[in-house]
Amino acid sequence: MKRNGRFFRALGVTSVAVASMALMVTTSGASSSTIAKGKPVTIGISLSLSGDFSSDGLAFKQGYELWQSAVNKSGGLLGHQVKLDIVSDASSPTQVVTNYQKLISLDHVNLTVGPFSSLLSLPAAKTVARYGYAMVEGAGGAPSVFQAGLTNLFDVSMPVKDSLVPFAQWIAALPKSTRPTTAAYVTTNDAFTEPQIPVAQKIMVAAGIKTKYNSVFPAETTDYTPIADAVAAAKAQVVVLGSVDVPTVSAFMQAFEQAHYNPKVFIATGGPDQGTQFSSVVGIKNANGMMVPNAWYGSATTAGSPAMVAAYVKRFGGTPSTISADVAEAYSVGQVIAEAVNATKGFDNAKIIKYLHSGVTLHSVQGSVKFDKLGENNNATAFTFQWQGSNFVQINPTSNKASKPVLFPKPVWGK
Amino acid sequence: MNSSALIHAILDGILTGSVYALMATGLTLIFGVMDIINVAQGILVILGAYLSYTLSVHFGIDLFAGLIITIPTLFVVGIVVERLFMARLKGPERVSMSILVTYAIALVIEGALNMIYSINVIQLKAWYVNRSFLIFGIYLPYIYLFGFILAVVLLAALYVMLYRTRFGASIRASLADQVAAALVGINVKRVSTICFGLGIAVTAAGGMVYGATNAFNASTSYDLISRLLTIIVLGGMGSLGGALLAAILMVTLGDVVAVVWSPIWSSPTFFFVLVVVLSLRPQGLFGKRSARVA
Amino acid sequence: MLKVKPWLWALALVVFAVFPIVVSNPTYTTIGVFTLLFMACATSWNMFSGYSGYVSLGTGIFYGCGAYTMALVSTHAHMAGGEAQFWLVPLAGLVAMVVSVPVGAIALRVRRHTFVVITIALFFVFQLLAINASFTGGAAGISLPIIPWLFNYYNLPFYYVALGIVIFATLLSAGVRRSRFGLQLLAIRDDEDRALGLGVRVTAVKMTGFTMSAFTIGMAGALYAMFIGQIYPQFVFEPNFDITVALMAFLGGFGTLLGPLLGGLILEASQQYLTLSFSNGSLYLILFGVLFLLVILFMPQGIVPAVAKWWNDRASKREREPAAMDPVTGPAAIGANPR
Repeated sequence: MKRNGRFFRALGVTSVAVASMALMVTTSGASSSTIAKGKPVTIGISLSLSGDFSSDGLAFKQGYELWQSAVNKSGGLLGHQVKLDIVSDASSPTQVVTNYQKLISLDHVNLTVGPFSSLLSLPAAKTVARYGYAMVEGAGGAPSVFQAGLTNLFDVSMPVKDSLVPFAQWIAALPKSTRPTTAAYVTTNDAFTEPQIPVAQKIMVAAGIKTKYNSVFPAETTDYTPIADAVAAAKAQVVVLGSVDVPTVSAFMQAFEQAHYNPKVFIATGGPDQGTQFSSVVGIKNANGMMVPNAWYGSATTAGSPAMVAAYVKRFGGTPSTISADVAEAYSVGQVIAEAVNATKGFDNAKIIKYLHSGVTLHSVQGSVKFDKLGENNNATAFTFQWQGSNFVQINPTSNKASKPVLFPKPVWGK
Repeated sequence: MNSSALIHAILDGILTGSVYALMATGLTLIFGVMDIINVAQGILVILGAYLSYTLSVHFGIDLFAGLIITIPTLFVVGIVVERLFMARLKGPERVSMSILVTYAIALVIEGALNMIYSINVIQLKAWYVNRSFLIFGIYLPYIYLFGFILAVVLLAALYVMLYRTRFGASIRASLADQVAAALVGINVKRVSTICFGLGIAVTAAGGMVYGATNAFNASTSYDLISRLLTIIVLGGMGSLGGALLAAILMVTLGDVVAVVWSPIWSSPTFFFVLVVVLSLRPQGLFGKRSARVA
Repeated sequence: MLKVKPWLWALALVVFAVFPIVVSNPTYTTIGVFTLLFMACATSWNMFSGYSGYVSLGTGIFYGCGAYTMALVSTHAHMAGGEAQFWLVPLAGLVAMVVSVPVGAIALRVRRHTFVVITIALFFVFQLLAINASFTGGAAGISLPIIPWLFNYYNLPFYYVALGIVIFATLLSAGVRRSRFGLQLLAIRDDEDRALGLGVRVTAVKMTGFTMSAFTIGMAGALYAMFIGQIYPQFVFEPNFDITVALMAFLGGFGTLLGPLLGGLILEASQQYLTLSFSNGSLYLILFGVLFLLVILFMPQGIVPAVAKWWNDRASKREREPAAMDPVTGPAAIGANPR
């Protein structure tokens, strides 16, 4: 096989050529914390624009872009216009790691903010930590994320564990005559949903509500019918569904409707908060009465929220109720970053991290933000929201003045 | 656990299983005649669902009536793909190569669907999608019944064509032995092309029912293809009856385990059964031993 | 055997060895680490599947087991993040090897086509176990000890350990190829029944090849887990990984020594780079699919055999030698090549 040798000799020559080309590539490290006058400040973001998390990724992109145009209209950050450097990670942790290195070491972004999903935020935060960068994120609040011991990670949204507490307390406080007596708990085995269910269940069981059904289903389920039918067969008055996306909730609603099962209360941990993405899939009539825990909604009057909603409707159309909470989560990240930059008078990540850990109270469209030493926002108030007609309204905590009366019991399907 | 829930699960399994059977039949037909494992079957089901969506939303055409358009469309898609790519595959690694080629095709279609329809999940709508009727004390959704009838009609049509027509005879001959079929004067090339078209055409119907019973986007195709592949292996690759039985068995078993034990163990139980069956009968339930080389 | 002059291998090794020093930007060295990991996996996949013709799509089982070994041992032993963790890499390889014994015992009972799908099925069993079993941490995954290295140093140890795994995999694959054992694997690929008839103990041979290949893949999985610092069951037991590894070997040249190395190098590096360059994920999918189709259609045997053939054809024309003599024309011929 002498002739083969020629080919490989050529290959060898080529590799030398490639290596010498590589020599010419200049190397560089992280960016400096000062920006020349008139130059923009760049914020690096990796978002899932394809793959499993892509639908949330898109809403996050909208949120970041709305914040960008708002801050630029008001003169930018410390006089610098804000530029977003968005790369796609295809919902893969491998790509997330490469992406943040690229953003910092090649694009020299000044700040980094988080991707979507608890699954990607840890690899991302660990990567930027090596550069001393802060990672402020809007989603990824699973308890496991904060147990990793990172000091540069901050989640502006509500820690997910206690999300269902106001809801459970509301049920427990209902007068005995109207209080439901049975409940079904069903959740996907996801780091985001699973921790929420036992917290709510404990409160409700203490209030004398019997558990009729309790089960976990795998995240990769495609056919929810048998599970939903089993829940329907339990005929509980309250359904607490641990879900992360619209298709799951939609499948359960459809199966319940088909089984002529109308729970008095139906709450899902994720899905109904996705605005028009939810209402268009399940139908606005079926959405009526559906509840979801969250920290933000379209009619919120928190810092900057009305302005953001107006900008959203102007740019993307729709109504306040059709805006996904993801948009607000991303927008809040921008607001927190801006406050930190203004307070530290610069773009030094070390100073920003120190400032965010200082126990200061910040403001976002989702309400006030105060980080503990793990980076959890302990100031976040959990709310419960409900679809009422074509509106998405806040219903509890009942002590909150903005809370509207609850539509209880939930109307039958299609009404 | 009451018995009505069990009956319900079994009924659900049979009705949805028939739709999977329809999609899997296309896959196994293509493999049987052409030795091609079409990994793009999953994304083609989704393509079928999106076509139905476009017809119903933009042209107001009923989902079932729309099949008159979508089935021929996907048949043509199948013919084109076969002529452009499949016909070029040759050599001893043909089966493995076919996985790669169809995977690449699936990627292209996935990207195109994402661009055209966006990544937001959708679901097909019609009056019969959310309504149900009472039978034996169980509420049965209309869409499940209609989907079942559709699958049965199409499968029956396929069987009649295969067993009662001359062309069907040449397909069966090619299924049994390509070389012998060619020797007795059957145009195996033409049979292959049409088979590929038929195998793809059924995804239009399967996709429509799938899209009406599940919310979907292009990424959903990955779940689908892994299910369809396991179905045809369990049934025996190349066996049409095997695909039918395996589909119903798989979906029913999953549903029953979810109800009597836990949804968590549905898939592991099914895969466990698959592994046991294949350990005892490597060719699958109805596969012919050494019908093909290796 | 495709003869590559030793000095050419040495040169390639030098190029890889100096790469992170010359191109020190962490983005490129990160891509380098991932690329090396895939090169190692594709090479060891090929050492069994390429030589024996048994296409496995269950590679992720061993990758995942390796990753979980690294994650579980380093967290349960309360190890501090750092160099010491590298000692777990060969351990993870051993664990993967042990796991591969029952997996092989089940999967290798069946012939090729069914083998493909049964490996997929077994893969999903493992993925589901990782998600649902209690000792794996379930869906919440496992966060590994934080390694306190800075960005300009962090990638280097990983890069060189990964390079070490690639060298190990390549030497192993080359060694197998030269050995009697390798010839037996190739005989199985050409005609299993005849091999059996000629007295090859096919089951034992296949089993040995399968477990050897699992060892290296387990090591790669462990290194990946340590590098990323956080694992989730659906990402270390990933179906796409199974397909990608097979794809790399096919792209480079199924059953050749150099092919999987080249396939891994080209595919992983370009995939990472393309995703980086196209923020539009859908466009990237289309582009990747089309590129891929072109390669398969125009070089159905893979890059190495196709390019070698083209090069030799050209050379022979110049020397007025009949090109038809060239042995590197098809996979069957490649199989026959080393004899």
